[in-house]
Amino acid sequence: MMSSQRGQSSYGSKAPIDLEHIWSDLLQGIEKVYNKQAMSKKQYMDLYTHVYDYCTNVNNQGGRGNSVSIPSAATSKAKKSQAAGGAQFVGHELYKRLKEYLKAHLVSVLKNGVDYMDETVLKFYTQQWEEYQFSSKVLNGVCAYLNRHWVKRECEEGQKGIYEIYQLALVTWRENLFRHLHKQVTNAVLKLIEKERNGDPINTRLVSGVMNCYVELGLNEEDQSAKGQNLSVYKDSFENSFLEDTERFYTRESAEFLRHNPVTEYMKRAEQRLTEEQKRVQTYLHEATLDKLSKTCEKVLIEKHLEIFQAEFQHLLADDKHDDLGRMYQLVSRISEGLTELRTLLEDHITQQGLSAIEREGEAAHNDPKVYVTTILDVHRKYNALVMSAFHNDAGFVAALDKACGKFINSNAVTKAANSSSKSPELLAKYCDLLLKKSAKNPEEAELEDTLNQVMVVFKYIEDKDVFQRFYSKMLAKRLVQHMSASDDAEASMISKLKQACGFEYTSKLQRMFQDIGVSKDLNEQFKRHLTNSAEPLDIDFSIQVLSSGSWPFQQSVNFSLPSELERSVQRFTTFYSSQHSGRKLHWLYQMSKGELVTNCFKNRYTLQASTLQMAVLLQYNVSTTWTATQLSDATGIKMDLLLQVAQILLKSKLLSSDDDENELQQSSQLSLFVGYKNKKLRVNINIPMKAELKQEQEATQRHLEEDRKLLIQAAIVRIMKMRKVLKHQQLLAEVLNQLSSRFKPRVHIIKKCIDILIEKEYLERTEGQKDTYSYLA
Amino acid sequence: MADDIDMEKPAEKVTVNNDCVMKSEKMFSLKRWNAVAMWSWDVECEICAICRVQVMDACLRCQAENRNDKEQEECVVIWGECNHSFHNCCMKLWVKQNNRCPLCQQEWSVQRIGK
Repeated sequence: MMSSQRGQSSYGSKAPIDLEHIWSDLLQGIEKVYNKQAMSKKQYMDLYTHVYDYCTNVNNQGGRGNSVSIPSAATSKAKKSQAAGGAQFVGHELYKRLKEYLKAHLVSVLKNGVDYMDETVLKFYTQQWEEYQFSSKVLNGVCAYLNRHWVKRECEEGQKGIYEIYQLALVTWRENLFRHLHKQVTNAVLKLIEKERNGDPINTRLVSGVMNCYVELGLNEEDQSAKGQNLSVYKDSFENSFLEDTERFYTRESAEFLRHNPVTEYMKRAEQRLTEEQKRVQTYLHEATLDKLSKTCEKVLIEKHLEIFQAEFQHLLADDKHDDLGRMYQLVSRISEGLTELRTLLEDHITQQGLSAIEREGEAAHNDPKVYVTTILDVHRKYNALVMSAFHNDAGFVAALDKACGKFINSNAVTKAANSSSKSPELLAKYCDLLLKKSAKNPEEAELEDTLNQVMVVFKYIEDKDVFQRFYSKMLAKRLVQHMSASDDAEASMISKLKQACGFEYTSKLQRMFQDIGVSKDLNEQFKRHLTNSAEPLDIDFSIQVLSSGSWPFQQSVNFSLPSELERSVQRFTTFYSSQHSGRKLHWLYQMSKGELVTNCFKNRYTLQASTLQMAVLLQYNVSTTWTATQLSDATGIKMDLLLQVAQILLKSKLLSSDDDENELQQSSQLSLFVGYKNKKLRVNINIPMKAELKQEQEATQRHLEEDRKLLIQAAIVRIMKMRKVLKHQQLLAEVLNQLSSRFKPRVHIIKKCIDILIEKEYLERTEGQKDTYSYLA
Repeated sequence: MADDIDMEKPAEKVTVNNDCVMKSEKMFSLKRWNAVAMWSWDVECEICAICRVQVMDACLRCQAENRNDKEQEECVVIWGECNHSFHNCCMKLWVKQNNRCPLCQQEWSVQRIGK
């Protein structure tokens, strides 16, 4: 190809050719191109050569060719270019003739199609277009030399209205065919699309053909060198009316559909419509339409019905329609800010569900920690699953779930009845105790771990985490001291979970307690070895737990005179302990200590599991079988009110008897050993906690709580003020609340009280002359 | 210590024998006792005057450095001849600057170290 071109060109430069010479030949070829006749390679090459020859020929002939081939106005231009560039490019005449030919061709084409409507016009238009486009590409090839030199030059000179031949063909089409037909064509396309929307199959090739044409016609006329289309024709002649049409169609359809169908059905329809429209763009429209079309559809199909959706959301939640909820989420999430209202609705709904679930349980929720916690967990699990599946774990919905749980867990029928938000942490801690305490129905290790994880879910929402800590540590202490833990691993795992949630400080005491038990185990073994080696064993089976003070939530021990049998054990151990350690003192917790007594006075030989106080009292009956309360108190050194409680329990368990009612014991009451004592079991646990003990504990817990909180608040205030130096009252409150939120929710009046305390202690002062402002005193 | 036990021996033997004799007659006899006791440092003031933390807890430095529990266990108490007590860690640093008791200004000499 190249070589033949060269040959022709050398020939061309030798023999000058006039345009008239070649035009008839060229025209014949061009007509062949536009009339869809086959063309041989040779003829194609000849045509190319003609154009080439023409363009190069005048160049060589200088001024003469110029005056012949470019008459009228263009002459001066050509001359100018000649003067400026020093080289001459000729082609205007050829360009003009080509343009005229194209125009004439299209005018005659239009004649055939001007009256067509609807599909016929589409068929006509697309067919004509495809042929014309193909032919014009061929022509463009033929005129490649013209494009490369004359057209390029003209454009560089800033000439308007000069195009490469293919573009020229497009412009001519736009002027002569498109301009007259586009209204009919666009209308026909829109009708066809509506037909498809109504469910009739259509020939999508017709539409896509038109679209291709519209896109192709969008020439970038300002700057030809910028390739690609600017879509102006597509947008002006089609897209705008298409979008309007779409809006009209779906406004009508959605209103109509909603009138006859439930919202759930409507959502399915809307979802289907949205995918259809998306597919429509993919099959036969320009991709640029996708965004606008989606926006339009979303506006008409969803946004306009948002209120209906919101009303339906409520019902769907109530009926647990997860699929429909998911669909609604998908639809509404397309609208900006659309989900806000749904989140609020969800939050309210979950809160209500939680509250009523707890209320439904009634008394059981108050008294049975397991019922209480599982009720909460059921609600949480249900809506957590909903948020995960239907709402795709959308952050806003997760937050709504969390908020709702926080609300109904910290304030519900149970906490209101107890008049304290600390009821929730208390019940949760009790539930942990149930799980971790040795019992007949302890779950498997893996199941337990799972349940503890569930507990942590509730824990996360508890506001008064300090209350939980208090109850938990008390119950842990009891489990550990009484060897009632079901599993050390589970205990350790729970502590580490709490540590993870609230930090080292929150669990440091729990951890110390746990360690003390381990240390005590070793200590007992050493002591036993010591006893064996000393060859003087104790006459009772003695074991001990030595706890570090400060870590355990036990109260001061009661004072009384220890039975001599026990006193000896105490002395032996104390001696042993001080040989192991130095600088330590031991403080015996008799109310936590317990033991076993063997009876010889009844029909059977019973083993009684008793508290140390009970042991002290019962041992008195070795001396005499009848005592008055006063005598017993004197003999044991137990204070009267406490002694009466001990006696009450012994009366209840029928080891003692009295003429007085067990609930109305006096100092003078006679308490005798009941010799007829009977029990089915040979091992009897009479160590029942005393009422007063329980009540006292509860009160102390509450009191300590308030005191500890005050200290924490003061510490927080000092920390903040040390950093800020000067701060307004409101800001200080906000920062304190924020700092302590992981532990508990301080009440504002308590914070105020703490500020006053700190002012008194001269940590802070009120800034002079400024209202409500404090400054830090270093 | 060993001497103490030796001295007690004869007395104990007697009581043990007595118990054995009495056991059959007693209405209630002790079999087992699981005692619980708390230990604390035998100190006059529960707060270390140097770091202002309770002596039962590890000193401020040990807590702040977030050492593991084993190391904190070793943060013990030290008593001077003046009978004032502090965290051993705190005192070690203190005496480098000033070899006097921070509370009474007497020359510091160690009476005992906790264990």
